[in-house]
Amino acid sequence: MNRLLFVLTGIFSLFFFASAGMAGAEKLWVSSADAKLKADKTASADTIAELPLGTPLTLLSSDSKWYQVSTASGKKGWIYRGKVSNKPPAKSATAGTSLGSALGQLTGSGIKANQSDTSRSIRGLSPEAEVYAAENGTPEECRKALDSVLKSRTDRNETETFLKQGNIGEYAK
Amino acid sequence: MKSEKEADNIPGFSKERRDFLRLAGAAGLLMITPGCLAEAVKMADPQGQSKDLQKAVKILEGAGAMAASAGELDYQSEFAIGETLALEGFRRYGLPVKDSGVQKYVSLVGNAVARNSARPNIPFYFVVVNSPIYNAFSCPGGIIFVSSALVRAMEDESQLAGVLAHEAAHVGHRHALQSVKRAKFFEGVAKIGDAAMKGEKGKKFKEMIGTLQNVLFDRGLDQNMEYEADMSGMEIAYRTGYDPEGLIKVLEILNEKEATARKEGSWFSTHPPLSARIARCRERMKKYPDAGSLASVRERFAFYRNRF
Repeated sequence: MNRLLFVLTGIFSLFFFASAGMAGAEKLWVSSADAKLKADKTASADTIAELPLGTPLTLLSSDSKWYQVSTASGKKGWIYRGKVSNKPPAKSATAGTSLGSALGQLTGSGIKANQSDTSRSIRGLSPEAEVYAAENGTPEECRKALDSVLKSRTDRNETETFLKQGNIGEYAK
Repeated sequence: MKSEKEADNIPGFSKERRDFLRLAGAAGLLMITPGCLAEAVKMADPQGQSKDLQKAVKILEGAGAMAASAGELDYQSEFAIGETLALEGFRRYGLPVKDSGVQKYVSLVGNAVARNSARPNIPFYFVVVNSPIYNAFSCPGGIIFVSSALVRAMEDESQLAGVLAHEAAHVGHRHALQSVKRAKFFEGVAKIGDAAMKGEKGKKFKEMIGTLQNVLFDRGLDQNMEYEADMSGMEIAYRTGYDPEGLIKVLEILNEKEATARKEGSWFSTHPPLSARIARCRERMKKYPDAGSLASVRERFAFYRNRF
């Protein structure tokens, strides 16, 4: 009987401490684009995984501007503090909603949010902006200016290189 | 599952309760948005025989339109509104500075901060326009303007990052659209069929754009939105790795220039008083005890600023 009591107490203690440990673990969420899980607390370390927006993480420890975290799948590594938040990002953080296109239905432009990047250089301004420009006598130079702005994209590699050259964020020395 | 005829004859249930049960059943299947609920009600009464259910359809469709107007407009429509305002922005403030190096530099600073904004997954666009007015503004969807005068007044990259982060915060919070959420254009927008831009809807679109122009270029956004963009902007700059005090420095520089600067269409006239903004931002700095160790990047900024 005593032995049974001992075993049961042991099991309950294990359960209690495990639960307490889980409850105490701080949760974080990836809240920036282009977040990477690094093998060490430096931007030059190997990338273990690229973490999409909203990925839940468990904080294990911190050192200066870096957090040691684990993912739900058990991957452990380091992430720069600016890439995470203690609240999950809003659902509206990603482009588009379920309500459909208010303007697309007006003019039949029908370009979806996730197509907007690739279709931009082909289609120019949106039909709504074209109609507005035509009806309001918008100077051609303004249309050309906007078109050139929309065609000039900055990709993530350029941004990373730029931050590295400026010793900014995770690239700070 | 009972057939429609059987459901009509459930003993002990009044007509209203039967209508309610139909509605509840259909809604349970499609309970996502008020617009979907409206569709569910239509399914429950496809012939439109019940006046009560038809009333419910109208109420729910109205709610759907309200939801759409409350800043949840789809990205494509939001961006088209932004494009239209950007056209007006060029007309009103000036054309882009003709230096692709300067434009690229500002885009890089802007994109570096924008990916830490509340909407990191949408593409952002940044442009410096030739204008003597101290101003920066953001169009819905992520087209962000900054005037050459404002950039010239700055001293380092953290200051530019602070201003661009403030503008990215407006886009992240959909502040401009929130300002016109009651515009007639958005009424019933979730169910528009094949109406043309030249029709009544087109007229309402132009009215809404006119209101937005007034908000962005003349009247300014709600003061609380500006304070929120200041706080969010500092946070975005900090998370990127820039000293968040950069934004405060810009406000202080503008404070010195206010007496002699042109006010119309500038940050002076469209934003809350600088002293109040500076005080709030200074208070916020307590959140960032290690701000002084973050990047300011003076030399690179000076290189590009001196080009125009």
